[in-house]
Formats: sequence, structure tokens, C-alpha cells
Amino acid sequence: MKQIVALVAVVLLAVVLWRLVPLAAPTQLGPVARHYAEWGVAENGGSNLVTSIVVNYRGFDTLGEVTVLFLSVAGAGFVLRRRHGLVVHEPIPASEIVQTGARLLFAPVVLFGAYIFVHGHLTPGGGFQGGAVVASGVLLLLLADRDRHLPHGFLGLLESLSGFSYVLAGLAGLWAAGSFLANRGVLPLGSWNRLLSAGIIPVIYMVIGLKVGSELAALLDVMMHAAGGDGEEAHR
Amino acid sequence: MNVDILTLMNLVDLLICLVVLVSAIGVAVHRNLLAAVVFAGVASLAVSYLFLRLAAPDVAMTEAAIGAGLSTVIFLIAVRKTRETEDGS
Amino acid sequence: MKTLLELALVLAAAAALLSVYRLIKGPEAFSRAVALDVLTLITMPMMAGLALWVRRSIYLDVALVYAVLSFLGVMALARYADRGV
Repeated sequence: MKQIVALVAVVLLAVVLWRLVPLAAPTQLGPVARHYAEWGVAENGGSNLVTSIVVNYRGFDTLGEVTVLFLSVAGAGFVLRRRHGLVVHEPIPASEIVQTGARLLFAPVVLFGAYIFVHGHLTPGGGFQGGAVVASGVLLLLLADRDRHLPHGFLGLLESLSGFSYVLAGLAGLWAAGSFLANRGVLPLGSWNRLLSAGIIPVIYMVIGLKVGSELAALLDVMMHAAGGDGEEAHR
Repeated sequence: MNVDILTLMNLVDLLICLVVLVSAIGVAVHRNLLAAVVFAGVASLAVSYLFLRLAAPDVAMTEAAIGAGLSTVIFLIAVRKTRETEDGS
Repeated sequence: MKTLLELALVLAAAAALLSVYRLIKGPEAFSRAVALDVLTLITMPMMAGLALWVRRSIYLDVALVYAVLSFLGVMALARYADRGV
């Protein structure tokens, strides 16, 4: 029965979208989009226009997004506290290949994530993507060795300092150029397509990358060691 | 139907859209949650290619960074901690 | 030259459809995990081929992310069986 319902829902959605999509696709840019497209590179200096929009033109929304991410991870961490007294089946330890491979690959994966968020203003990517890749590197270590515990104090400190630095960058914009999270006055715009360019955008993205990476790593650690046990535990 | 849209790249897009469709139906239909997690991973992968085709590399990279490792693992941890099939057996 | 590249992408998409057969049919979840791995291996050069087709090197970063992280999902599924997740 569920299969039929799923199939009918998919067909209905396809029909609706087939009719609606040509209506919604405009043929020329609106006024705001045209300003971004024409003046984005000149005003911000970085070659990735999406990063300029996310961090500069819509920087305040990104601050809200970082707050939402922090709240969700904090909520999950609060709900999944470790409870004592539950039986957990002993896992089979990972094989030699997985353990050695994880230790060897952890550093290049973290380096790759750092590359993504440091070059956020030049290549596609940025803070959120780079932070997710860094958290995947930490996940590699957690998968290879289940009893590894991450230093939660250090991760919490790193995350809080990064979030604080984001607001500090905004206040520096307020002090130097007159508006919160302004880009022009704080750091020089530099020449196009160089690493040291685009004002304070790379600094903000580095801070976001560190914050997201440490947040997601702490969340993965909490989830793996949370109480709950296996499905059989719930039936006993 | 004008002949401009019958290009080879559009054929590739059509085949990848079929992959997305099949995996989305697979997520909805299967009772074994482990299989559903794998189907969701396939959907994320194919959608990332479609984002690249639509000239949105930042969105494609976000989908790749989250869907390649993290999303699958978080779902697996959740399935491990609760139940493995959907009807509670 | 572009037509040759487009033909290569069509063949890769056909290969992806073939592994979707294993995805649908696989009696266990781990057959489906193998199909996911093969699909990642096929889609990654497709993204690189697309980067060549539009002549933009920035598209290669997305393929690089999949190249680095693709085995994590499969490894997590394998560790799930060992009760290690």
C-alpha cells in the first residue's frame, strides 16, 4: 500500500513542477541581483561572488545561521547525555588496515578541509563546507577506534572563541567603516584572485570553518557514546 | 518539441535524474532503515552532480561535504540507537 | 572533441544506471553499499569531465571532495555490522 502511495505522490509532484517551473524562471536579473553581478567583484575583491554575498552583503544572516547551528548542536548534546548503567555490546575492534589508514589519512583530510575554508573567497566552498570536511576527518578517527574520546573542553573553547571572533570582526567593521560587518575599512581589498584579498572575508570564513568543524566533531562524539544501546535493548 | 534540447548532455542529465528518482522511491518504500540510508546517500550523490550541471559549484560542494560522509554516519548512529526496521519489529 | 567528451559522459551515465540495478536488487543492505561505492566512483570522473566540458577548473574541487570523503560512508556501514558505530 505504501508503495502505491509513494508512487502516486511522486507522479503528482512531477506534474505540478512541470507546470510551475517555467513560470518561476525569469529571463533577466532583478535589480538586486544585477547590482551583485555588476559591482560584487569590485566592491569585495574576491573572485567567488557567492562568498561575497554570503559573508558581506548578507553577513548578518550568516551570523544568525551560525547561531542556529550552535543551538542545534547544543540541544543535541544536552539530550544525548551519557547515562550510566546501560549494557552496551562490545564492538569488534577495527582491523589493522582501518586503524592504520585512519591515522595516516586524518592529517590530509583536515588539511584539505582547511584548504577549503581558507580559499573560500577564491574557489567554491567556504567555512561550512570546510568545517564539514574537518569533522569528517575526525569521524575517521572515531570510526577506527570506538573508545577514543575527544577533548571536549578544548573543542568547546575553540568553538566559543570562533563564534566570539565572528562578532569581533563585525564590531571591527563597525569601528573602522561605520556599519556592522563592513568589509571595506578593516583590511585591504588586495588584488584580484590572490590569497590575501577581499578584506575581512577570508578571516570570517576561517573562523566559521573552525567553529563548524569543532561543533560537528563534538556532536559526532556525543552521538556515538550516547546512551541507547542496540535495538534489542529497547525490547527487554 | 524542438530539437535543441535533444543534446547529449541533456541525455546525461536525464539518466542522472532517473537515478535520483529511483533512489528517492527506494528511500520511501523500504522498511529496512539501513537500505533507506544507502538510498539517501545515492540521492545526495546524484543531486550533487545535477547542481554542478546547473552551474552552482558552491551548492554542489556543500552537498558533497555533508552527504558524502557525515549525513550517512549520523543516520547510521541514529538507526543503531533506536530500531532497525520501520514497523517496530 | 566536445562530442567525444559528451559521448564519454553518456557512457558513464549508462554505467551508473547499471549499478542502480544492483542498488535495487541487492538482497542485503551491504550489496547496496557496494553499489553506492561504485556510483561514487563513476560520478567523480563525470564531475571532472563536466569541468572539462565547461572549461572551468573550479568544478574540480567538488570532485576532489568526493574523492577524499567517499569511503567514509561505506566504512561506517561496514563498522555498523561490527557493532562499532
